[in-house]
Amino acid sequence: MPYYINFKDPNSPEMIRVLESIPKCPGTCFFMDINKSTDLKYQGGIADWGRKLNNTFNFLLFSNHFEKDVVKGIGDEIMLFIPDSDLGKRFSNGPYYSLLEDIYSSMFTIRNHPDPGLFIECKVSIHYCTEVFNISFLEGANDYYGSDIDLTARLMTKCIENRIVLSEKFLIKVRNDMVNLGLPADTGCLGRISEKFLENFKGVPTNTEYRIIDVK
Amino acid sequence: MIMEITENAYNETTILGIIGRLDTTNYGILENKLSTLIDTGKTRIIIDCSKMDYVSSSGLRVFLIALKKITLVRGRFILAGLQEIIREIFEIAGFTTIFEISGTWEEALRLIGEEGH
Repeated sequence: MPYYINFKDPNSPEMIRVLESIPKCPGTCFFMDINKSTDLKYQGGIADWGRKLNNTFNFLLFSNHFEKDVVKGIGDEIMLFIPDSDLGKRFSNGPYYSLLEDIYSSMFTIRNHPDPGLFIECKVSIHYCTEVFNISFLEGANDYYGSDIDLTARLMTKCIENRIVLSEKFLIKVRNDMVNLGLPADTGCLGRISEKFLENFKGVPTNTEYRIIDVK
Repeated sequence: MIMEITENAYNETTILGIIGRLDTTNYGILENKLSTLIDTGKTRIIIDCSKMDYVSSSGLRVFLIALKKITLVRGRFILAGLQEIIREIFEIAGFTTIFEISGTWEEALRLIGEEGH
């Protein structure tokens, strides 16, 4: 449950006290964006693009058990967040490696499905967040705020269709899992990972290290 | 997680039984097994899923890769005995229209035999 923040007095000392007492909520944030769906809406009717959006969101969420991890949807992009406490329960072995591998596999299945009219290809950005708080300013809504959430959104600017952009911070968690599981460094989709890139994202005071994995 | 694969041969057909969870920590075992079979010309394969109680996206990917390889060499690849929760995932993945699916491995064996391969 998020901490609900709502104070009528803009200078409320109580608000400051409450905000400073909220604990951080480390976890993995990722954005999934359906590719070129705006084009589709101009090309066909709702029965066509609506069906493909239904199929794609259903597949991405249901096959990976992400239904309860969706924080919000904006157009054809969804933001998901899995707190560490939940991820560990879901994958008893190698949770970060498993999460990445499953996301890659879903994108692979969409890209290589023999029926090309069923799904829409997508792109994903992933970041391991430590500067994050489970708070909401809207009653009844779940949300996460923090500089690491903003960075996850920034990573999406480096994404194109059938690509995963992951921060180095998330990759370190994945690599640690692989060591613990005794897996070679090039196992699964990690065999396709790029070299490290550096980017100075807007609003982020330091350079961000990230990598890409193209889904083939 | 623990996953076991059983292997039985009936004439030219191989039946692989998956027991337990097929997930990211073990999908490579099935992937290697299927690759070896296909590469050695054993392209009539039935997967008995009746004891498979979980499949992750990585598991789905293995099935899709095997289907593509076997289709190229005109073999047969049948999934048998899907539990309800697995069938639901297969439906959402659009797999029920691209895979041959049968109720049991015995039925799948008859399907292959009846067509005189």
